[in-house]
Amino acid sequence: MPANINEVRTTVLAIANKNNYGYITPQDFNLYAEQAQMDIYEDYFYQYNSWISKQNQRVSGTGYADIVKGLEEVIDSFSVESFLTQVGADNTYALPADYYLINKLFYYPGAIATGTNTFVAAFKLTDSAATFSVLTNPTTPPVGSIIVNTTTQAQCYVTAVDNATTLSISANIMNLNDNYIIYTNTNVVEVERVSQNKLFYLTSSPLTAPSNSFPAYVLGGNNVTIYPSTILGATSIKTQYVRYPLTPNWTFTNITAGEPVFNPGQADYQNFELPSSDQPGLIAKICQYVGIEIREADVYKFGATEQSVDTQQTN
Amino acid sequence: MAYITDYQYYENGGANPENENWGSYQYVTLQEIVNNFMLIYQGNNELLNNISRYQVLFYAKRGIQELNYDAMKEIKILELEVGEDLRFILPQDYVNWVRISMYQGGVLYPLVENIQTNWSGAYLQDNNAKILFDQDGNVLKPEFSSLDFDRIKGVKRSLYLNVNSPYHNSLGYFLDGGWYFDYSVGSRFGLNTETANANPTFSINKKGGVINFDSTMSGQTAVLEYVSDGMENGDNANISVNKLFEDYLYSFIRYSLLNGRLGIQEYIINRARKDKSSLLRNAKIRLSNIHPGRLLQNLRGQDKWIK
Repeated sequence: MPANINEVRTTVLAIANKNNYGYITPQDFNLYAEQAQMDIYEDYFYQYNSWISKQNQRVSGTGYADIVKGLEEVIDSFSVESFLTQVGADNTYALPADYYLINKLFYYPGAIATGTNTFVAAFKLTDSAATFSVLTNPTTPPVGSIIVNTTTQAQCYVTAVDNATTLSISANIMNLNDNYIIYTNTNVVEVERVSQNKLFYLTSSPLTAPSNSFPAYVLGGNNVTIYPSTILGATSIKTQYVRYPLTPNWTFTNITAGEPVFNPGQADYQNFELPSSDQPGLIAKICQYVGIEIREADVYKFGATEQSVDTQQTN
Repeated sequence: MAYITDYQYYENGGANPENENWGSYQYVTLQEIVNNFMLIYQGNNELLNNISRYQVLFYAKRGIQELNYDAMKEIKILELEVGEDLRFILPQDYVNWVRISMYQGGVLYPLVENIQTNWSGAYLQDNNAKILFDQDGNVLKPEFSSLDFDRIKGVKRSLYLNVNSPYHNSLGYFLDGGWYFDYSVGSRFGLNTETANANPTFSINKKGGVINFDSTMSGQTAVLEYVSDGMENGDNANISVNKLFEDYLYSFIRYSLLNGRLGIQEYIINRARKDKSSLLRNAKIRLSNIHPGRLLQNLRGQDKWIK
């Protein structure tokens, strides 16, 4: 469960208001909340690395003492999978705008079928021009094949072949006249990241030259370039990445007795995405910013001390 | 190879070619080896971490190449007819030869390598034996050297019959209207077994990529048994290795990576090296198929009298 933004704000105000001269506007709070969340979020990756080192020194346990597992769970909650959009008609694909760290790239080589959804029904894909079949062994397409809606980039799986024109699918992703492509779920290969300074040597060596079995990519700007350059499918490349957390936004509708009243029903409301266990850390971080804003050294010191203690306990 | 149904195995699921999957269970593919290695042998809690897949791929291929050279016994065989130029162009994936035979009348005659070379390069020279060059400073070369010319044009020895000549009944060369004979130096004590052979001989021009036969091989069918490096003409999807060598390959990759990394203790490298060596030995023994039934069959002849 994520940290509760209203509880964090109330606690921060309670700490800052000890002499009734510390008031933080919602706008300022939201700015500090974003900074605090980002700071703690990045710290997860450093902690993860640190705890792996400790694990290798055998100073980390298993079960409830498995700190690495807990850190992985938090980081994995920001994991996203999506197909990359091809830039032009080249072997270049645009990375998602919200990525923090590209973990994996996958190449889907085996397109089984393409077409257009001609009828909308729940959990169905219908293509009047298709030639699906239940008579082959396995079915065509096989159950488990990946369906990508190339119009919306959404994806799901084939759960059954109903007849020659209709498939049962695992999610409602097909709208009328949406285009689709079906990939086999076998033969999917990982595309390996290669640094720019190794690329020339890699492509020049007969033993390591990228191939459809062992493709590679280099990062440039916000795009990736895939090798071999014959990989050109519009939705052939899928990524699994860790995204940035969404910007927290404490929202209110009206002001009662001089105080804005919390309203999570606003369209732009956004809670913290870090888990509840990070609530004390968020409060301590925000208190440091608030302490500086209201020039209250005690508030700053409280935040800094809390954070320091927390760091000692968790490292 | 992935697990497949019986229908897929025997009839390739109704697709062509039908024999696509026959015997495939003996082999593990390059993709599987690299994938398994990345999964099992590298990671945050393993001896190896932060390695790139291309490094694993490189060493996996190097390991397969080494196995193909001397351990796997995956012999390839190619039959070609030798033309008038007496050349057999080496196959694209040739690395080394095992045996070269002449196929004649349904029988394979193994040929021996001519240890005295029968081919060479040559430069054009003037009357004073000075080498000739073109305007760019490159040396001029004839199409054939004297050795090649004689071999291809077939100046063969034949029997000289002239009762009045001391060379009567000797083998000699008839060239440009005159007879030429080998020098008779010293005495001859039996055969020189090193070169004694009734069949055609050959020598291999490795750099030139051809096998050169002597002139008696013209128009004959040559069968080349050779080893390749298992790289399947660069098609990674087709590279595979016998399962008996799977564990060896992992240990080879692990040793190669550990050996090249900074800060790995020597005892770890040594352990990996010993693993690699013993696994190769084990795999060779397994592949040699020594088992009681086969030994028994061989030993049945132990009491046979050799006359």
